[in-house]
Amino acid sequence: MGAREENERLKAELGVAKRELAMSREKVSEAERLAALLHMRAPAGWDLSGARIISHRLGPNASLETILIDKGSLEGLGVNTPVASPEGVVGRVLRISPNAANVLLITDPNSRIPVTSQKNRIQGILRGEGPNKELTLEYVPLGAPIEENEILVTSGLAEIFPKGIPAARVIRVAKGGSSLFQTVYAAPLFAPERLEEVALLRRASDSHLAMEEMADEEAGPREGPLPLDVGDSASPERSAAAISAAPPTAQGAVEKAKPRPNGGSGTAPKPGHAASRKKRQEGT
Amino acid sequence: MMPWRIFFWGIFSLLGVWLQSLIPGVDFLAPGFILCVQEERWPVTVWLAVLWLFIQEGTGSLAFGSGILWYGALAGLYYFGHWLFEARNFLFMFILGICLGLLHFLLTYVMAYLNDWTIITERVALECLLQALIFPVEWGLMFLLYNHLPEDANAL
Repeated sequence: MGAREENERLKAELGVAKRELAMSREKVSEAERLAALLHMRAPAGWDLSGARIISHRLGPNASLETILIDKGSLEGLGVNTPVASPEGVVGRVLRISPNAANVLLITDPNSRIPVTSQKNRIQGILRGEGPNKELTLEYVPLGAPIEENEILVTSGLAEIFPKGIPAARVIRVAKGGSSLFQTVYAAPLFAPERLEEVALLRRASDSHLAMEEMADEEAGPREGPLPLDVGDSASPERSAAAISAAPPTAQGAVEKAKPRPNGGSGTAPKPGHAASRKKRQEGT
Repeated sequence: MMPWRIFFWGIFSLLGVWLQSLIPGVDFLAPGFILCVQEERWPVTVWLAVLWLFIQEGTGSLAFGSGILWYGALAGLYYFGHWLFEARNFLFMFILGICLGLLHFLLTYVMAYLNDWTIITERVALECLLQALIFPVEWGLMFLLYNHLPEDANAL
């Protein structure tokens, strides 16, 4: 083989290797995002599932700050279903169709969420002001202590969002004027334009909760972080949906990322949990 | 329908949706609708209009019906206008673009009022301006391309 042929062959191989490297980087990035999503922990009484973002604002009718996700009423979503990211609250479902849903972001001027400051427990209403603008926290009394960089979490008062989900960070407090309230500015915890996957929070039924408690009692105290224990999480639907949101390659990466405290399989459920889940399935 | 025309409308629809994701708030499919009314037989126009209507209604955040009103008003303006102007005239398309810009403002505000929503006025105004400017330019480009398709009898 001449030097020219070898050079051409090596160039072709280099091109293939570069393409493979680019694809691998993309897969690693995706796996990291999905792993962060799987690490999210649903509040008690809520189930968590994943969804992909199909599009951001699109078309002449996109007047609100919305995103379109690939889950709809067929997956059990409804209007006002809370949507979150690993960083915090993203918004809530505004419009629903069988296989897709429009999510109203918290940055939209029509979004209002009752929140509480995490440290000083000051309550207020978090309101969006539009894209690339600060959120405002309304109805905070003049004397109320609220600090910069304090995290605002959902208060759960509107019964749409579960209590305690991070929603925004206080960036500025303006006092003065004739108003009886302080003007508090906050920043959302997520970057809307960088969102690719989100988590959906749905209420677990009361009976489902009771069964979970029974299963927990049987199994005793858990070892290791709950969200990582995907196969043994609070809800089989949650696990299935979270896994289904990840492509096979990403699932593999997520599985690898799981800690294995006993040196064995990180996904293997405890015997007590497996038995209780089997009982539940037989019962239903 | 000739294969080249199916290819043309397919590519147009894909490009239109892609451009709409790049510049939200602007309808890049509306010039195609007018071109379709001018050049194609009515069943083709109806099928394409229904397809584009579903895309706009499905991806939009306004209540269902805004897309129907939007394309209905566009068809109405075209049929009303072509009695007064030469239908394939750039000036007519320019005026139609301005009307569409105003219609976008009106429709958005009416739908927002009916839903009791707050709309960002500056952004809607910018979208109106972009719609008015982009519509005639895109129609002109599409008109030139369409009339240079290989099977077309008028192709140069």
